[in-house]
Amino acid sequence: MPAEVKQEQSPSNATSLAMMQEPQEMVEETVTIEEDPGTPTSHVSVVTSDDGTTRRTETKDMSSNVKVTKMVKTVTTRTVRQVPLGPDGLPLPEGTSPLGSYTDSIDRRYMKNGGDRFITPQATSTLTRSYNNSYNDSYGETPESQYVRHYGLHDGYVDLADNYGSLSRGVNFRPPRYPYLPNSYRPENSYTLPIRKDDYGHVAQPQVPMGSSTIDLNRSQPERFQAEPYGLEDDRRSLGQDEEEPYELEPDYSTANRRTLQGANRGRTHREPLRDGPRVRGYADDPIETELIDERHPYIHGMYSAPLAQPERGSMASLDRMGGRRSPSIDSIRKDPRWRDPDLPEVIAMLGHPIDPVKSNAAAYLQHLCYENDKIKKDVRQLKGIPVLSGLLDHPKSEVHRKACGALRNISYGKDNDNKVAIKNCDGIPALVRLLRKTNDMEVRELITGTLWNLSSYEPLKMVIINHGLQTMTNEVIIPHSGWEHEPNEDSKPRDAEWTTVFKNTSGCLRNVSSDGAEARRRLRECEGLVDALLHALQSAVGKKDMDNKSVENCVCIMRNLSYHVHKEVPGAEKFQDPSSLQAPGSAGPQRKKKDDAGCFGGKKAKEEWFNQGRKNGENDKNYDTLDLPKRAEPTKGFELLYQPEVVRLYLSLLTESQNYNTLEAAAGALQNLSAGQWTWSNYIRATVRKEKGLPILVELLRSDSDKVVRAVAIALRNLSIDRRNKDLIGSYAMRDLVSNLPSGQQRPAKNLEEDTVVAILNTIHEIVTDSSENARSLIQAQAIEKLVAINRTSQSARETKAASHVLQTVWSYKDLRNALTKDGWNKSHFQPTVTATPKATKNGKPGYDDTTLPLMEKNQDGYSTIDQRDKDCKYKAGDSSVDLTEREPLKNDTNRKHYIRSNRPAVSLVDACDVKPQPVDSWV
Amino acid sequence: MSFTPGQPVTAVVQRIEIQKLRHGDNLILGFSIGGGIDQDPGQNPFSEDKTDKGIYVTRISTGGPAEDAGLRMGDKIMQVNGWDMTMVTHDQARKRLTKKNEDVVRLLVTRRSLEDAVKNSMSRP
Repeated sequence: MPAEVKQEQSPSNATSLAMMQEPQEMVEETVTIEEDPGTPTSHVSVVTSDDGTTRRTETKDMSSNVKVTKMVKTVTTRTVRQVPLGPDGLPLPEGTSPLGSYTDSIDRRYMKNGGDRFITPQATSTLTRSYNNSYNDSYGETPESQYVRHYGLHDGYVDLADNYGSLSRGVNFRPPRYPYLPNSYRPENSYTLPIRKDDYGHVAQPQVPMGSSTIDLNRSQPERFQAEPYGLEDDRRSLGQDEEEPYELEPDYSTANRRTLQGANRGRTHREPLRDGPRVRGYADDPIETELIDERHPYIHGMYSAPLAQPERGSMASLDRMGGRRSPSIDSIRKDPRWRDPDLPEVIAMLGHPIDPVKSNAAAYLQHLCYENDKIKKDVRQLKGIPVLSGLLDHPKSEVHRKACGALRNISYGKDNDNKVAIKNCDGIPALVRLLRKTNDMEVRELITGTLWNLSSYEPLKMVIINHGLQTMTNEVIIPHSGWEHEPNEDSKPRDAEWTTVFKNTSGCLRNVSSDGAEARRRLRECEGLVDALLHALQSAVGKKDMDNKSVENCVCIMRNLSYHVHKEVPGAEKFQDPSSLQAPGSAGPQRKKKDDAGCFGGKKAKEEWFNQGRKNGENDKNYDTLDLPKRAEPTKGFELLYQPEVVRLYLSLLTESQNYNTLEAAAGALQNLSAGQWTWSNYIRATVRKEKGLPILVELLRSDSDKVVRAVAIALRNLSIDRRNKDLIGSYAMRDLVSNLPSGQQRPAKNLEEDTVVAILNTIHEIVTDSSENARSLIQAQAIEKLVAINRTSQSARETKAASHVLQTVWSYKDLRNALTKDGWNKSHFQPTVTATPKATKNGKPGYDDTTLPLMEKNQDGYSTIDQRDKDCKYKAGDSSVDLTEREPLKNDTNRKHYIRSNRPAVSLVDACDVKPQPVDSWV
Repeated sequence: MSFTPGQPVTAVVQRIEIQKLRHGDNLILGFSIGGGIDQDPGQNPFSEDKTDKGIYVTRISTGGPAEDAGLRMGDKIMQVNGWDMTMVTHDQARKRLTKKNEDVVRLLVTRRSLEDAVKNSMSRP
């Protein structure tokens, strides 16, 4: 969870939030989603490399939201071709086909792991060339010689492994050059650095830069890879980067670097686990190795000298400065053979290097280093690397801002929220949004949105993201990818949503931020086109039966969150409030008519009554079906779409078809939210669920293996049962499934449900049983009393105990049921609120066979009345969050998508038959 | 056991005798029944024929007399102490089972497994 979590989190959280597992039955709930933790899924981390070849996005679920993706692109080598070019001279870099070479190189890399030596050789050759070229160009004299030397070094390199000593030399030489490097880093570096310095000084540097950095990345990655499973991914990533680079940089460099990398990788992998450690080469025996060695050298050079590599001489010049002129003597060079990776301060310093390829390579290398390495991320932060990376986002060159963005994505992933804050503090969020607006490069967009997703998992940043990026993300990503069109042309046929990574990332980000409370919800609801586009995307998903992906999950979670408290928060909501809802729920007493009116919270609202009309006037039953929804003068749009009865079908389709627990939970949570509250629209929603035959679908989901799905469904059923008819139906058909989810005395149920879920179910049962002795009878027939008594007496959870106690008290309040209860061996003590367990010592009941099922009028007055429920709810909520009943904590998404296997359809249908059949009677004898 | 109105019912039945257990003032059998001609047969989860309005055993309490006697959930009760139970209301059945003055009830019950057992034994002599 940890790392990945973060990235994902938000997304997932958001999603999950939606779920709202919370027990609060009544409430609608749930917006919750946001929390990262929940979200296992977060994809955030995905990184893709431009290479095209491979990107991997790994999403690990890290603890929190973040997923770190390693961006490593495999930069491998493309060099082969280049090599040939190299010989020619300058042309190498340019002439070489970047792309082609890349591909090649990639292969090589892979090969390398195995025994790619052959590849390396090529690379080497290339490198050399490039060096030469650059040399010639810039330095003219020295370069070549140096190159030669370098080569020599390479050879030496082999030897070098041993020699760190050479480093010291380097140090000696270079001290002056270091300047660009951070001071601190020098001393340490010195050992390794020397070599580099030499390189710089020499010509080689230029070449190296691009390629080298990549290379380094690759190298280190490879090493890691070997060590760790990830390695492969990393490589790939690095490749990607390389690929990208090619454009800007000269092909040669890239190749060179790659090659080097390869070589380096090999060497390292074998010997050095650590990237910091000096590289050892131990191939000596192999002919291949030699080649490798060569490669390495270039690589090395490249790393430091990379800047030089660039065509510009100016850059070269700069290199010179940096590198210092000293051209190490050939001998010394040779001696120094080993090269080393730049250390972190060096890399960060290189971000500010005047030469763009150096910057981009440094950023790419950082990305690689940060992959799944929280320590490095922290170090980068402490070395003030984040502001520099953030500054590079505005860099005009795509290579540079892409790599910087990749590094930021990895850095932003993980539990360490300080990293996220650091990005925010240097105005990284607006910079990311600016870049999103500016770039058309898909990969960059993926990186940006992935970074934003990661950032969005941290609560304090959510509003910042909303403030800077909401409309941009909506306009740039959500709307275009959803297929929704503002003003559809008559000609154009509706487009389906495209489940791109960008869309997934963006929706994940919005999912997370949508859980940031009322203000966030308001902003999202009022964001032009957002709700419309999300709905369109979901409808498209349902239409295509493609709804098990993360994007759908994110969208549903956003919808759920935005549906939370719509009845309170939407502009103009007052107009739709039920007048009667103003009274205190419990105070409605006199008004209510027992059966028809009893609302879950006591007060039946006018609207409710309207719904119940049919019931009261038996002949009007049909009214339910013909409910006329308010006429619309104009098509609804924007947030109004959230609570139109039309959405019910969408959610029900998702509940029917999706295999993704998070999606199921979110869809149920959305219905829960929409059916909560006392306003006209929730009345419509409740009736629509019934008319769309949604109750059987929900009841079936009570059998889900997923705890949170069960919870969300249970709460949704509770809210739906505010509608009297729904209550009757649910009481008749859902009772057994509800009860079967309860733990029985000794053994926990097959599904070991969490406390929250058990409480949610108990509260739902309470709601259903309240004001309905018929339902209470169903409860008894479902053999729930035994379980309830057991929970009441033995549960470790105070909340469970209390919830069970409420149900028991309510049941006992139906005097007409007491005979049946006593017949079953229960007595009043079993229904006492007290936890004091009096073992059911006495079973004395009068056998009464009274069949009268009149509901007790007093019920409401009883302590058990709904009011209590409310209290309960409040408590729950309070526990979870301060929010009202409804709000759920953001759920975390479990990334794990377990496939929910649908059990057989329930034999019973909850369909809202016009006439409800009497509940079957079942008598103990 | 198919049932056609107007036709005699043929069923493979098992005889089960249950000794009632005294529970305070109550005599209990330890099972519950569902069904009856006044009930909605479509909601009976045990019947094969959803128009069957017979009396079915819906639950058995663990360790109770009915369980000891071999009664099972889903059994259809054909007779109680000789009284027909295939065309009675739910309440009639309940009362017939809970006579205070009878300590023992003798049931004729049928169940799917009985039918199948007989069918199998007949099909392969």
